Amino acid sequence: MFSVDVSSRESLPRWVEYSLPLLTVVAALGVSAIPLAWLGVSPLQSYREIFVSNPTNIRGIANILVTTVPLFLAGLAVYLPLRAGLWNIGAEGQLFVGAIVGSAIALNLSWPAYALLPAMFLFAGIAGGLYGAIPGYLRAKHNVNEIISSLMLTFTATTFAGYLLRGPMQGEGGQSATEQLPTAARLPTVGHPRLHVGVVALVIVAVLGYLLLNRTRLGYEITLIGANPASAVQSGISKYKTYVLVFVIGGSLAGLAGIIEIAGVHGRLFEEFSPEYGFTAIAVALLGRNGVFQVLLAALFFGVITAGGTTIAVTQNVPTAIINVIVALTILFLLTAEFIKDHRLTISFDRSSGTGDRGMEEVS
Amino acid sequence: MSLAAGLAESTVRLATPLLLAAMGEIIAERSGVLNLGVEGMMLVGALAGFIGTIVTGSAWIGFFIGMGAGALLALLHAVLCISLKTDQVVSGIMLTLLGTGLTTYFGRGWVGGNIDGFGRLTIPVLSEIPIIGFALFSITPLDYLTLLMVPVVWYFLFRTNIGAEITAVGEDPETADTAGIPVFRIQYACVLLGGVFAGAAGAQLSLAFTNFWATEMTAGRGWIAVALVIFAQWRIWQVLVGAYFFAAIDALSFRTGGSVGDVLLGQEALATVANFLVNPQVMQTYPYIATILVLWYVMRQGNLNELGAPSSLLTPYSREQD
Repeated sequence: MFSVDVSSRESLPRWVEYSLPLLTVVAALGVSAIPLAWLGVSPLQSYREIFVSNPTNIRGIANILVTTVPLFLAGLAVYLPLRAGLWNIGAEGQLFVGAIVGSAIALNLSWPAYALLPAMFLFAGIAGGLYGAIPGYLRAKHNVNEIISSLMLTFTATTFAGYLLRGPMQGEGGQSATEQLPTAARLPTVGHPRLHVGVVALVIVAVLGYLLLNRTRLGYEITLIGANPASAVQSGISKYKTYVLVFVIGGSLAGLAGIIEIAGVHGRLFEEFSPEYGFTAIAVALLGRNGVFQVLLAALFFGVITAGGTTIAVTQNVPTAIINVIVALTILFLLTAEFIKDHRLTISFDRSSGTGDRGMEEVS
Repeated sequence: MSLAAGLAESTVRLATPLLLAAMGEIIAERSGVLNLGVEGMMLVGALAGFIGTIVTGSAWIGFFIGMGAGALLALLHAVLCISLKTDQVVSGIMLTLLGTGLTTYFGRGWVGGNIDGFGRLTIPVLSEIPIIGFALFSITPLDYLTLLMVPVVWYFLFRTNIGAEITAVGEDPETADTAGIPVFRIQYACVLLGGVFAGAAGAQLSLAFTNFWATEMTAGRGWIAVALVIFAQWRIWQVLVGAYFFAAIDALSFRTGGSVGDVLLGQEALATVANFLVNPQVMQTYPYIATILVLWYVMRQGNLNELGAPSSLLTPYSREQD
């Protein structure tokens, strides 16, 4: 028997503060080594491929950047409402809606690329924004919990995509997928056949997002509402407007992520086009919650893992599900680390020496 | 078997995993801890139960292993949310991601295997009642057990001292603590119990429903269970009704064939709309939409308390703050 003494702490030793994120990742990779070793794969070899060899060749870099785009945009879709104190768990659904609407436009209009691509992106963004507006509106107007409603809307969208892809939008060949999009609807590539121009969105959106949050009135209001809703409302900020807007902007970014993924990577819409980007986005937003550029870095980090994981799935013959395992473990360790950061833990092995304070939990 | 009897039979069998998972979720949520990891816990339960059955040769032992696996994942949630006071939403979603990832990863080698699993237990005479007889009296032991658990859980939550203590913890942990109720122990027990139920729900799927393992075989049922708890406004009998309602939609969606014909009440347009609405895939979205509508309707009327949601849901309890 031993007891763990928990108390809040004000300051943190500097070395702990800086090494915590790194330790988090190392711990997650350490635990992920178990499933890798279980299938007879060398974890070190795998990690070397994910973190060293993949990010140092042109094909690998292209894959990482291309994977980072949806992660970053969807990550912002979670991050913006988070800044206002709301949880958007529905980025996956907004991403699907954007992909559906964008693909539908691409398949039905035979316009040249310079007109078709903007139309696809515009309407994908609008559709994602409108879909995101639902939980934002319900929360702002009727105080309906946005976690539940955005989650439910995600499954509504992904399930409905299943209907569309086996019904009205189904292409030839009997698969649950659309036809190939026309060439005019494909994003051009630069430098490498996999590197589509959608990656410029990383820079543009990062800068715009930074400006929005740090240089505009709306950004100020979002931050204020998130920090202290009561005093924000007192000072005349409309909670209603802010709640709806963060969800609309977030949703439209997720919608854009969806159509970029279709027009840039897959070339057609199918049911499993998103490897749960919208849920990894929650991890992205959480890891990068200190600012837009931190979100970008977090997206890049998970982009490295996702792209690398896809590579080792082929070279080492392990299921790509290892990516989800690493992402989930990273966040779970991050949550644990947060606690260690805020609390002082004293473990005393003699039961009687633990203070009689009621703030403790016994672990046996 | 007539259409109605067949429909009733599938409804009962499809309701079992929803009922189990939702009852577990109610127990956890009533103690103030939201568990969005149900889907992951169900998957872990389904795979562990399946492997356990193959290794031990006994479906019952497999079932218990499945429950244990669900509890193990729930333990992680409990440590994170109760002891470490982390965000329940993030922890739950990451546990679902982890459960999905782990079962897809380790389950690859078990895809394609078949087991006998739980067979039907037909009660003579009663099972010959028209329409509902076969559905209620010729089902697997797990289905009977689940139906039996509904009044048990109701009694436990609403008629026992421990149930009252759980409610007290979920409504106002600080007051409960002052009154000498072991808040943390109760929350731990409730979250673990929720994991046991979720694991059981998953194991029921692989051992008594499909009798095989398939990647992501829960197909969102864990999320429907989460929806169901809200749809039922945290009340056991409403969960029973809701589970049958959602299961009936599911059962119906397999059988309508997605068509009511070309003309309905002399109107072609009406038939088009009706055909859209009875399309199997479209019908799969109903539980989610219904949940949002219920939530919206109730919130328009009053507040979260009238909804039946435990007041301290999502708020970690910490003694340090006072």
